[in-house]
Amino acid sequence: MTPPPPPPAESVAAMIRPTPLLADSQTNRDVMAVFMGRPGLGWLLLLGLCAAGLVTGALTWILQIYLGLGIAGYSHPIFWGVYIVTFVFWVGIAHAGTLISAILLLFRAKWRNAINRSAEAMTIFAVFTAQLFLGIHVGRIWKAYFILPYPNQRALWVNFKSPLLWDTFAISTYTLISLIFLYVGLVPDLAIARDRTTGWRKVLYGTLALGWRGTSRQWKAHTRTVLHLSGLATPLVLSVHSVVSWDFAVAIVPGWHATIFAPYFVAGAIFSGFAMVLTVMIPVRRIFGLEHIITDYHFENMTRFLLLTSVIVGYAYGIEYFIAWYSGVEAEQTSFWLRAFGPYWISAWIMIIFNGVVPHIFWFKRARTHVPTIFVVATLINIGMWFERYVIIITGLSREYNPAVWGHYTPSTAELLIVIGSFSFFSTAFLLFLKLFPVIPISEVKELEIHARSHGHGAAADESEGQRLRRMQEAH
Amino acid sequence: MPTLVGVYDSPQHVAETVTRLRGRGFAKLEVYSPAPFDEVEEAVDPKPSKVRYFTLIGGLLGVVTGYALTIWMSLDWPIVIGGKPYAAIPAYTVIAFELTILFGGVFTLIGLLVIGRLPSVKLDPAYSARFSGDEFGIAVEVPERDVAEVDGLMRSHHAKEVGIVPA
Repeated sequence: MTPPPPPPAESVAAMIRPTPLLADSQTNRDVMAVFMGRPGLGWLLLLGLCAAGLVTGALTWILQIYLGLGIAGYSHPIFWGVYIVTFVFWVGIAHAGTLISAILLLFRAKWRNAINRSAEAMTIFAVFTAQLFLGIHVGRIWKAYFILPYPNQRALWVNFKSPLLWDTFAISTYTLISLIFLYVGLVPDLAIARDRTTGWRKVLYGTLALGWRGTSRQWKAHTRTVLHLSGLATPLVLSVHSVVSWDFAVAIVPGWHATIFAPYFVAGAIFSGFAMVLTVMIPVRRIFGLEHIITDYHFENMTRFLLLTSVIVGYAYGIEYFIAWYSGVEAEQTSFWLRAFGPYWISAWIMIIFNGVVPHIFWFKRARTHVPTIFVVATLINIGMWFERYVIIITGLSREYNPAVWGHYTPSTAELLIVIGSFSFFSTAFLLFLKLFPVIPISEVKELEIHARSHGHGAAADESEGQRLRRMQEAH
Repeated sequence: MPTLVGVYDSPQHVAETVTRLRGRGFAKLEVYSPAPFDEVEEAVDPKPSKVRYFTLIGGLLGVVTGYALTIWMSLDWPIVIGGKPYAAIPAYTVIAFELTILFGGVFTLIGLLVIGRLPSVKLDPAYSARFSGDEFGIAVEVPERDVAEVDGLMRSHHAKEVGIVPA
């Protein structure tokens, strides 16, 4: 048999490199529609609201730099107020992204791929927001670089024995690694966008995609890179909040000086991070109509994580009380008695009920699959986790060993405005991300689809796309 | 030499074609795919990616840097803090750990760029936007006289289309 002669070169070149894509992949089109579509009224209104909050927060910060930390109500004995509370809160939120991307990748939990991009983006913005607070809470922001080990005229070096310096290294490492993780995952998707856009978007995506062509050599290196980054990021995630917890645990303040702090904080971070992903993704899925990609199955899996981490956090609350009693240290016992029945009792009970009790509703399948319930519980958890940090920091500092130097603390207006500003910063960044970058990892979803297609997982004719995707994800 | 480009729908067909092509001695080939597929990568080059060496070197460099930085700085201006030795290894392990991860991660990224030949300003002439859609492409450089044979080989392995990119 002789093969047919090849057609003339010109017509072939036209056939191979056609600009209009008639038969583009459905997943490409679905995801591109999310970030290429014209911004809706709701998105614009939200962005306006967040921008207003951001400006308010920024102006308050400028005022605080001008007037000093006095306007934040910082006074003896409490010099770690709402700023550090919110810092720890945002660092905690930042843990979900890397957990979903790295740890679930190592466990080969394929369901993660519908949510990992948005979770990674959330991680980045949450870490940035957290770092803002390191700047906000220092008295003299123009001397913040003192924390870095740089050669100086006085030949002084930083104190590496201080947990605060460990924190500097942990948080900056986490920022960079999360950024690399997000970016490496984005590159193939940026190439998809580059091939299908014109104008400024093509320039943006073309530049960021670095000339990605999807050759087998590139994919092989890419898969390895993601795997190695996951291997590195997994211990990193666990270390970052452990280090943050040592900021407290290494001090001898009653209520802080506990060996359980590292695992307790890490579980709390994952708990709050997953809750934040749910709080953000439930409305996003609704607004952009992504029900066929982010299915209820994903939400159900995440609620299981919430349940698991809630149990760990609840156990930690309990064991703290047990150890305070069992240690026989009077200061510890007083501190924990005052935590539940002292001046900050409202915060303590919000923390216990929202984090330790409410999530137990997820033992029931009906709650795990009812989206409004998930949304409400996730939001309560966010509130509860903010109060957890408030309780730990404020009750600890306000009543240390000597009753003569006990004090009381209430957040000032300036602090609350800056906290609102921080939430606006996070939301603004996330809203812009939604309209600029693919919020679903297109290549990963396509990998599953092509795999299923070519391995003959025949789809039933009447199966919805969501059912199909879910079946594929379960099959892996 | 002209480049022949075959367009495929399934990774298995791509892998089979690549194996055949390589068996026939056409080694200058490039496969474009919309997502990673083990069988394709296996067929093109069965050796594991060298990214791992970058990760290893980065990690080792990080741990050494971490301890060296902290110990040298503490000894450069010795101050007793908390009754601990100047070089307090347990405390410095935190820094060394973080730098291991940091350097390891950054070197892994560099590895991806070096091995993936990124960034590149120009896309290959054989590349097409279809390959970031749902389709696969095999681009193989063949001498003029073998064009018909390779064209037939690709079509007999379920290539949807085969075309020539003039060199």
